[in-house]
Amino acid sequence: MIKENLYFDIAATTPLNLDVANHINEINKTTYGNPSSIHQIGQKAHNIIERARKKISNLLGCKESEIYFTSGGSESNNIALRGILKKGDHFITSSYEHPAILDVAKHLEQNNISVSYINPDSNGIINIKDVKNAINENTKLVSIMYANNELGTINPIKEISEICNTNNIFMHTDAVQYIGKNTIDLNATNIDMVSIGAHKFYGPKGVGALYIKNGVTVNPLLIGGGQEKGISPGTENPALISGMAYALELSLSKLEKNSQHISEMEQLFVSLLDNTKIKYKINGQNRLKGFINITFFDYDGYSLLLNLDMNNIAISYGSACSSGSAKASNALLVTGMDEKIAKNSVRISIGNFITDNDIRQLVTTLEKIIK
Amino acid sequence: MSSKPTVLVAMSGGVDSAVALLKIIEMGYNAIGVTMKLWEYKQVGGNVLKDTNCCAIESINNAKLVCERLGVPHYTIDFTDDFKEKVIDNFVDEYLSGRTPNPCVRCNSYVKWDTFIEQADKLGATYIATGHYAIIKQENNEYHIKKGKDEHKDQSYVLWGIPKETLSRTILPLGDLTKKEVRDIARKNNFENADTPESMEICFIPDNDYKRFIREYAKDDIDHLNGEKGKTLNEKGEEIGLNDGYVNYTIGQRKGIGLSNPDPLYVKKINAKDNSITVADKKSLFSKTCKISNINWLDDKLKLPLSVLAQIRYNGTLSKAILSNEKNKIHAEFNEPQLAITPGQSIVFYNDNQRLLGGGIIEYE
Repeated sequence: MIKENLYFDIAATTPLNLDVANHINEINKTTYGNPSSIHQIGQKAHNIIERARKKISNLLGCKESEIYFTSGGSESNNIALRGILKKGDHFITSSYEHPAILDVAKHLEQNNISVSYINPDSNGIINIKDVKNAINENTKLVSIMYANNELGTINPIKEISEICNTNNIFMHTDAVQYIGKNTIDLNATNIDMVSIGAHKFYGPKGVGALYIKNGVTVNPLLIGGGQEKGISPGTENPALISGMAYALELSLSKLEKNSQHISEMEQLFVSLLDNTKIKYKINGQNRLKGFINITFFDYDGYSLLLNLDMNNIAISYGSACSSGSAKASNALLVTGMDEKIAKNSVRISIGNFITDNDIRQLVTTLEKIIK
Repeated sequence: MSSKPTVLVAMSGGVDSAVALLKIIEMGYNAIGVTMKLWEYKQVGGNVLKDTNCCAIESINNAKLVCERLGVPHYTIDFTDDFKEKVIDNFVDEYLSGRTPNPCVRCNSYVKWDTFIEQADKLGATYIATGHYAIIKQENNEYHIKKGKDEHKDQSYVLWGIPKETLSRTILPLGDLTKKEVRDIARKNNFENADTPESMEICFIPDNDYKRFIREYAKDDIDHLNGEKGKTLNEKGEEIGLNDGYVNYTIGQRKGIGLSNPDPLYVKKINAKDNSITVADKKSLFSKTCKISNINWLDDKLKLPLSVLAQIRYNGTLSKAILSNEKNKIHAEFNEPQLAITPGQSIVFYNDNQRLLGGGIIEYE
């Protein structure tokens, strides 16, 4: 699939699983109805969506009435925050969230919502105590990401959700990096809302979901034809929605095998790197498998990315942004890392398609560049 | 990659740098396209809807499309911090102190060339190339810059400050072409940006309203003026009227002075300290000498006093002048009086063969 270019950037997005691609094409070729139409052509489209909803709710351990399809993680995050918080409310989040949380929080601050930003510790993890201490009588919502998108570090979300439950506070988590790479049993937790994006688990781009626990009232951001119970109006895309469900099913059904493989690849990477003279350090603890934020002490991260790219190897640097800016990773900076060291850090993320040879080629090329 | 030398081509997204890239490829080099991101809209304000400027997303996208068409990688490299510190802040300071800066010169002298060479080293490139209309010639192991073939487009004026040692690693592929030829090449090759209009404004002031820019950017520094009127003085120092404040004027300006006089009046001097401008008739704006600071020589062998052809503004004409050193200050003495010699602008020296010898910044006498 991507043998010409070696792709070590699945944290940015995963390639579309070819079976899922065929599934999507098939639906697009055969199903054109509007899911809201009364006739049989519309019903066919409608039923594809509802089957996908059942599948996803089964896979995530929740009720189908709790899954709302959206255009992706960013929309889900926006609905969760802006649909709950009102003037005068207090909101707790972390300082290393994705911009679809962090910049929403800054926007909310301008609208008289106070926000507490919790820094992760030096291992890249949010401390439960810090969340507890930030709570005040106006705290309405806590949103902490399940796994950080730059470090891959996994936060104690279940524990945080219990604190929220005790204090009668809503709990949201941006689980875009987490879902599909780990199992989750949503109804067994006290989490109220969860953001999901399909393109991080070999599904299509442009589709995601928001889990909203039954009983939680969220105000919609868009007004339209009432689709998704009014939470995300607009004619649905049955092919993408079904593609997401299929991709999640495939990811979770092969989870153990893939996790094992990715762990082996990560170990191989580290052991090969240890045989070179390259000075490095892997950042963050309790990380997603194959998610390696790494500092090369003697090489500027952005230049490393460009040099690897010219050797047809794709990795990631810092907080990538569409405007072409490339600043040092915000996540590393808020863990207290010195900016100079942060600038020498890159993110290498290993997908389930990566082979022994790919890892060897990566390390050989790194050695060639860093010397 | 093959063993051909690699050239880092500076891509603004405009037609000139696109053709420069094509020329570099035709010369047989490996090329990498690089767009330097120098500023962001949120930093500078102005009309965000315009898309012909360098550093606008659309321009970066154009650069990417051209690079893809020509099969070379393209990267955007962030220089916003450096550019702010060395160019934008200086631009504002200069205006606030009553001078008229040339930020393109500043950028070439202090940001573009050095950082570009540094990037070339990081990416394993031997040379850098830009789409400037000027020529680099090698003679007896010496490299020097000459005016470009297209006399209307010649950009050697803005290159006087680049570090001399970078010349041997710099290629300017458009020096022997006219702008028309460049556009024809772009059209023939179906470049997406073949017909994008010429950008005439300062890149970080996309709406071309530098007064608006200074007002917003240096809000804290000019707040004390509080929209206060400035004094308009005659040459004797007598107050003869009020004006919009000194920041709104440049030397030689005639419009907007707001005084009626039998002979039209021009701004002769800007006095930042007391928020006043001195006006005079045109005759009085002519002067034969000026002081020069921040000189950069592109030829080590020159000795003062030196007879040169000097140019005191972009697209200005060449005038004979003698450069001399008086009490450790370099002076230019022109054969003919010059109109509105403007502190902050560049004075650039050429020899009879259109060779760029160096340049400096014009100071008040």
